[in-house]
Amino acid sequence: MKEKVIIITGASSGIGLATAKELSCKGLYIIGIGRSLERCAQAEQEIRALNPDAKVQFLIANLASLEEVSKLAEDIREQLAQDGLKHIDVLINNAGTVSSWYISTVDGFELQFAVNHLAQFRLTYELLPLLKQSDEGTVISVSSGSHYRTKIHWKDVMLRKRYNCLLAYKQTKLANVLFMSELNRRLKSAGIKIKAFAVDPGLVNTNIGLKGTGGIVKKVWEIRSKSGTPADQPAHCITWLATEPDARKTDKIYWKDCSPLNPSRYSQRLDVAERFWELSERMSGIRYEGRMTSWIPS
Amino acid sequence: MKSLVCITGATGGLGRAFCVECANRGWDLFLTDLADNSLSILAASLTNTYNVNVYYRSCDLTNFEARTELFDYLREQGFCFNFLINIAGLDFEGPFSERTRSQIRTMLRLNIEATVEMTHEIMKMRDISRTFRVINVASLAAYYPMPVKAMYASSKRFLLDFSRALREELRSFDVSVTALCPAGMPTTPECIRAIEAQGFAGRITTQNVGYVAAHTIDSALKGRSVYIPGLLNKLLKAAGSLVPPTIVARVVGSRWKSAQSKRALLGSVNGNPQ
Ligand SMILES: NC(=O)c1ccc[n+]([C@@H]2O[C@H](COP(=O)([O-])OP(=O)(O)OC[C@H]3O[C@@H](n4cnc5c(N)ncnc54)[C@H](OP(=O)(O)O)[C@@H]3O)[C@@H](O)[C@H]2O)c1
Repeated sequence: MKEKVIIITGASSGIGLATAKELSCKGLYIIGIGRSLERCAQAEQEIRALNPDAKVQFLIANLASLEEVSKLAEDIREQLAQDGLKHIDVLINNAGTVSSWYISTVDGFELQFAVNHLAQFRLTYELLPLLKQSDEGTVISVSSGSHYRTKIHWKDVMLRKRYNCLLAYKQTKLANVLFMSELNRRLKSAGIKIKAFAVDPGLVNTNIGLKGTGGIVKKVWEIRSKSGTPADQPAHCITWLATEPDARKTDKIYWKDCSPLNPSRYSQRLDVAERFWELSERMSGIRYEGRMTSWIPS
Repeated sequence: MKSLVCITGATGGLGRAFCVECANRGWDLFLTDLADNSLSILAASLTNTYNVNVYYRSCDLTNFEARTELFDYLREQGFCFNFLINIAGLDFEGPFSERTRSQIRTMLRLNIEATVEMTHEIMKMRDISRTFRVINVASLAAYYPMPVKAMYASSKRFLLDFSRALREELRSFDVSVTALCPAGMPTTPECIRAIEAQGFAGRITTQNVGYVAAHTIDSALKGRSVYIPGLLNKLLKAAGSLVPPTIVARVVGSRWKSAQSKRALLGSVNGNPQ
């Protein structure tokens, strides 16, 4: 049987790490991505402590840079090749960040937009050929309930003039749902078997709100996150979508606690999804078109 | 060929925000900074996203020969300009007595010499069919004598006075000069730690770079002489000009010392946002 290969971004802490642990304990082959060598080494150790036979590797990349994202894809291909593998079954785009400040990335984008959305958009594009080699190719984006009650701010997508941490964050989580919905549509019409899902983790007790924040945002998160569920809970839903054949049978996009939910109505608008897709292509300097064929070069 | 906007210090945090702002307005750009690689990444991204022409060349602006080469190159290319945004500038943290001679020279050369020379040379390559605009990035620090930032604050004072005088001198030549005087801006993890260390005061005087870039360009287009982002900062500036400079210096000095000790603590616990 083919080895089941899983890529998880943001696997060095929080939901990503919990997911890596659960999947690893099922004996799957995992490549985790993080930005800090130290935290990745620590995460790897934790996984090995749970499962001494874990097939897990960590790769380092700062997902705020598109160049690093494409370099990461290169590293992933290399790592797989070293282990005699030529496919990816599941890509879990989980890495996410919150920033109190408008920070401009090396590409000139706002940090949250770059890490939470553009990195997913670009990495998925880069890894699509490998996902096509799997019989059960799956892309999962870790979105959030904060995608409800917001929209894309077309006139100033990166909110340069009216940046607000939460507004920016909500928009990126909406971007995740838009991306997964549109990806699904495009894959389907191209006759490609890959499935795309968005996951709503609920409120989870992680440190995400403490890392790039200060002042009130940080204080609020310190208090609020305590009432969140442990990261194992969303990890379980992600694991279920990644491994359960039944999950692939539905046409539902948006999942929470292993059940489908309706995502916001705005996120299901075809015109919005298409327009946002084109914008994302321009911003990340790619065109999916050429990769949207069911034909696989051998 | 359309005339260009020339931006120095283009790949820094504030520089990138200005590049995006200009590109978003559909303006073609010429960018310079130290590293070729960062320039090429940014230029490609701006071209993809905003569909504008972006040219670039790396240059160590503290170096006279390098500047000469840059100007020769620009002339050879036949570029002409309608806007110059002087952003390149630097600060060395810490007391004056701890600075090396080379640090002193580097700062004066970059903050003062390079800015003045860029203005001088790029203006010669101006597009004479249009208004020529200059933005010089000074700082709110230009309004106070600042102990422990003595060189930095006075170099910014130089830029402020230079900009104001030049603006008057060139008014009849259809040239406008605007000085930007921001307080701290959260561009790097280091800046963010500094702002956090000042606590509430730091946070409310802080403006996001995206906002600052957009409003500075608007100010320049309106021909304003100085733009200070944020209401509170305007008040601080007013206070700075009412109170005698010796007293301001003393207050700033003591505030800085307390922030510095808090920051040493914060530095070790804060995660890096980028
Ligand atoms: N916690 C919640 O309540 C909640 C709710 C809804 C949705 N979510 C979503 O869940 C996802 C995971 O969040 P979490 O709560 O598990 O947060 P977390 O514990 O902070 O984990 C985020 C992960 O992303 C990585 N990361 C952040 N910026 C990165 C960058 N520039 N390059 C590479 N990796 C980067 C982090 O690396 P480090 O380990 O180095 O920090 C970490 O591994 C996010 O997409 C978030 O939006 C969370």
